Amino acid sequence: MANSLFEKYGGFSTIHSIVIEFYNSVLDSDVVGPFFDGTDMESLIDHQTKFISFLLGGPVSYPEAKLKAAHSNLDIQSPHFDTIKSLLGETLTAFDVEEADIEAVLEKIETYRTVIAA
Amino acid sequence: MAIASINEQLLRAVGVGIALFDGKSGNLQFCNDVFGEWFDDAGPGVAIQALFPELDFAELKARIDAGGRHSGELSFRRNRRTLVLAQIISQATVGDESVYVMECQNITRIRELESMLASYSKMVERNTREIQKEKDQVEELLLNILPRGAYDEYKSFGVITPKRYEDASVLVLDFVGFTKMAEQLAPANLVSELNELYTAFDQIGEQLGCERIKTNGDTYFCIAGLEDSELDHRASIIKTASLYRQFLKKRNENSEVDWVCRIGLGSGAVIGSVVGVKKYVFDVFGPAVSDAVAANTVAGDFEIIATDAFAAEGSHATQFAPSNSGMKVLIAD
Ligand code: HEM
Repeated sequence: MANSLFEKYGGFSTIHSIVIEFYNSVLDSDVVGPFFDGTDMESLIDHQTKFISFLLGGPVSYPEAKLKAAHSNLDIQSPHFDTIKSLLGETLTAFDVEEADIEAVLEKIETYRTVIAA
Repeated sequence: MAIASINEQLLRAVGVGIALFDGKSGNLQFCNDVFGEWFDDAGPGVAIQALFPELDFAELKARIDAGGRHSGELSFRRNRRTLVLAQIISQATVGDESVYVMECQNITRIRELESMLASYSKMVERNTREIQKEKDQVEELLLNILPRGAYDEYKSFGVITPKRYEDASVLVLDFVGFTKMAEQLAPANLVSELNELYTAFDQIGEQLGCERIKTNGDTYFCIAGLEDSELDHRASIIKTASLYRQFLKKRNENSEVDWVCRIGLGSGAVIGSVVGVKKYVFDVFGPAVSDAVAANTVAGDFEIIATDAFAAEGSHATQFAPSNSGMKVLIAD
């Protein structure tokens, strides 16, 4: 955990701004925003916190089966996944995350495409 | 009624949402842009209940006219977000007319951060619990294959150096006719029998300061004197051997399978070490081990045999008698 991006970028005390920014950009997106129409604020924040922490190597891990189960009846398609992925890239860029690190995060999320998207 | 234009400009400039309601009718007189952005329906003359259906105007009026104020929190969805506003209503007098002043402060971000903190700390707590559980499991596994001392060394230094113990006692036990039993019993049955026996041996040994080193099929090795230099390990191992023997005899009375043991005892120097790189096990070598193995091979049914050297050391000589194997037999029971 010591060398995770999560630690490198300052742990939760700085990562929380990334979470908020990502949360806002997802909600403003007409492609993926509607997935969260029925989600209350707590659950939504919870999702984005876990999402960012997970992808940056924070103190959480999800077995694939669990992620699959959490998304299986949401009808998430590949274009939705693409949107989330590019929003994530934009958010990380806005927070001056290094190019190589962003690439690594995007590579990591890509490995979950078939797990999350139908 | 008129609001001085300077006041109006001020109200428009602040970041707080401000609305003024007529103290009699409860209808909106004025609101600033911040307020207007939150409430699409806000326009002059709109009733306060139309904007805030959950407010009981009559009750509010009674409270505020008595000099009190109303404070509350309201939340609603807007653009997929949940807006949370802290609301304060108080009374003011403009000219001789009563006006209700409503201030709304956007505390959404605070609530979002609180939620995030809750989510994050739950995540961390769970993660910590999981890590601890994993650690416990690893420790349990390691303690199955390592003596406590070696495990502690491993935990502190990450390595286990081979160690020479000048004097320890070793017990080697095996079962008569095991090969035949292995053929006759169902494998699951055989394993569960052995498991039960070895577990009982472990428990008996532990009481007396003996530690199991390994098992090899029907052969069970344990040692005394590795951890505790004060222990009279010969006495311990003798006692342990007698108890193993007693335990088996007793168990055989009510058990379908008859187990007959042979026990060899040896003592002297041993080297304890972790052997192997990936699938490592803790093992001991040295004269005490070879002696115990040699004694075991000449033991008869339910006999406890020790080398001469073992029997001669310490105060146990009188417990042993010569045997025709050239070693000493313990006068058991
Ligand atoms: C690797 C990428 C992702 C990760 C790690 C992830 C993580 C999670 C987790 C852990 C949950 C369960 C929350 C809980 O109950 O504990 C969840 C639920 C959910 N996810 Fe994701 N997610 C990912 C991608 C996506 C995408 C691409 C979308 C939509 C476009 C999405 C939409 C949702 C929704 C709508 C829920 C249910 C939220 C609720 O109503 O509580 N997720 N996700």
